[in-house]
Amino acid sequence: MQWTEKHRPKYSKEIQGQNEAIAKIKNFVENFYLGKLTKTKKKALVLHGPPGIGKTTLAHAIARETNSEIFELNASDLRNKLKLKEILKPAIEQQSLIKKGKIILVDEVDGISAADRGGLTELLSLITLTNFPIIITANDIWNAKLSGLRKKAELVNLKEVDYNTIKDVMINILRKENHFINNNILTKIAIKSRGDLRAAINDLQTISSIKDPTENLIDERKKEIDIFNALRLVFKGKPTDETLRIYDSVKMPIDNIILWVEENVPLEYQKKELKRAYDLISKVDVFKKRIYRQQYWRFLVYKNILLSYGISSSKEDIKTGFTNYNKPTRILKIWLNNQKTFKKKSIAKKYARKVHVGEKRIMNEFPVIRNILKNPEVRRELRLSDEEIAYLDKPI
Amino acid sequence: MESEIWTEKFRPSKFSEVVGQSDIIKRVEALTNSLNIPHFLFAGPAGTGKSTLALIIVKELFKENWKENYLELNASDERGIQIVREKVKNFARTKSLGSVPFKVIFLDEADALTPEAQQALRRTMENYSATCRFILSCNYSSKIIDPIQSRCVLFRFKILEKKDIESVIQKIAETENLTLNQEVAEVLYEGSEGDCRKCINLIQSTAAISPNITADLVSTILSNSKPKDIKIILDYALSGDFQKSREKLLDVMLKESISGQDVVKAIQKEIWNLPVEPELKVRLTEKTGETEFRIVEGSDPFIQLQSLIASFVLAGLGKG
Repeated sequence: MQWTEKHRPKYSKEIQGQNEAIAKIKNFVENFYLGKLTKTKKKALVLHGPPGIGKTTLAHAIARETNSEIFELNASDLRNKLKLKEILKPAIEQQSLIKKGKIILVDEVDGISAADRGGLTELLSLITLTNFPIIITANDIWNAKLSGLRKKAELVNLKEVDYNTIKDVMINILRKENHFINNNILTKIAIKSRGDLRAAINDLQTISSIKDPTENLIDERKKEIDIFNALRLVFKGKPTDETLRIYDSVKMPIDNIILWVEENVPLEYQKKELKRAYDLISKVDVFKKRIYRQQYWRFLVYKNILLSYGISSSKEDIKTGFTNYNKPTRILKIWLNNQKTFKKKSIAKKYARKVHVGEKRIMNEFPVIRNILKNPEVRRELRLSDEEIAYLDKPI
Repeated sequence: MESEIWTEKFRPSKFSEVVGQSDIIKRVEALTNSLNIPHFLFAGPAGTGKSTLALIIVKELFKENWKENYLELNASDERGIQIVREKVKNFARTKSLGSVPFKVIFLDEADALTPEAQQALRRTMENYSATCRFILSCNYSSKIIDPIQSRCVLFRFKILEKKDIESVIQKIAETENLTLNQEVAEVLYEGSEGDCRKCINLIQSTAAISPNITADLVSTILSNSKPKDIKIILDYALSGDFQKSREKLLDVMLKESISGQDVVKAIQKEIWNLPVEPELKVRLTEKTGETEFRIVEGSDPFIQLQSLIASFVLAGLGKG
């Protein structure tokens, strides 16, 4: 289990170094019902600050302390205006059945891209209508697209967690986990996290899974430790519930993870396993395009499950031994190649125009056409540049 | 100035010079002579004279002013209908020069447009019908939406007959002082699959090496183009070496800049030359079809093709 989940504070008093903010939020929620009748009161509150400092945790803690049910939405639900209306509208109108109050939590509001402004507009109109306090979290409230929101909501800033506090929290966790890590490493993790407590705890968990960790492990390689470990778990181990969430701990967009899986799966799987795994990756790719085309973000769920649990379950038996995974190089190769074929493309373009044919077709026929382009008169006729001629004269 | 690119040099510039398609030529010529043409839809395989005929039409209509009154677009190159619309708009805005009251737009490979883009094109055609005539070309008319088809006069171009291609070969050989015999003509015809442009390219490409054209020389040039590589990819896969096959695939796609769809088409053709049981050929074709479908639906053709090779590896083991 993720330590960031396991050791997530339940009460606001456990949250370190944010006393002022905590008081403001409590005030907001408690006064919401009392002040409801006065029209001037703002009905939403934005908790803003850098990632990993406890914005979401705080919202949950406050809900617990005010005996409110929490209704949570995050960026992926928000993309679509219709969805937002469908989900949030009933929530802001109906009383909670079990608890006294209700808090609507809209997480990661900066996740709404500029292209989906319909979602933001809808959110603003829901704020006007709501019967319950809305708490919104954001990294950068000063982003231009959030200007409407700034006017409608009370703003509360959460500060970065200072590095001593981060160290204290880590020591506490290690005590509960019955684990020891030397002080130098802890200091290093704390400094590197730059106030992001969640990142620090993630680092801590990774480090404690390694035998005899050394300090330099924490440096730049951090990102890759995660993806390497994730791949190891997926490819080698039995699929478990943990496998399902494995990529959450990898700080890498899922589309990059696809490339890592694609690059390394043939190192582990053979024959039938390989075929099954690639069939899943192929489906993941189709979902990727569908999300992009239809802006239907729920497909993300399938991408995630197929790429983690799906790939893991494609093997007939668990794998042992150590495998050295490769960094995906395909994208780099494509880029390098594009630089190289740049000349070829510009030649094909000139030629295509001359002979009334599409460029793509000329690119396909280039091996045959190359000979024709040896003719100096043809070169003159196409007005090839010196660089283009140099490209043609270079041996293949 | 006469072009030194033979596909241009030997491109017919009058109706009477065109080989093959005699029925189509007769009707198009009559329409052109009346100085009022409808929209045309030319359907048929590559290298059968669609673009050539479009060029002849505009040259006959506009004489020396043809370049000012003619716009050529290629749907597979122009990204998106938006650009097509922009260009059409700019072109159609000014009046035509000379006595003919309209301009002509030739949209090549129109079947490369998505149905949505074609809907937009149809509106564009309507908006500018007073000032523009469209000539669309495509390989398959079935890929053109009905509303466009119904606004056009459709002509189906047939693949050129052997005697037609041979007459072109003969003419070039005489003009360019090449020596080639009947056997060579045969190889050229086979190698170009009835595509006249491909055939002329093949002759010029071979002639660039030697004016004395032999069958061997033509075969060398032919084998330099891609099918050989596709065969290697499949051979590796069938022998069980997934990694080598994958490497070669990436290599081919990058170095030759072949699109995923072209690779999958080549694989589909190559299956029939593989030393495997008929039943397996069918299953591999099925999988290839699924792969082509997913290439269209998905975002990364390389991923889809890897999935296909993984199936070939299994097939090679007799467990496909």
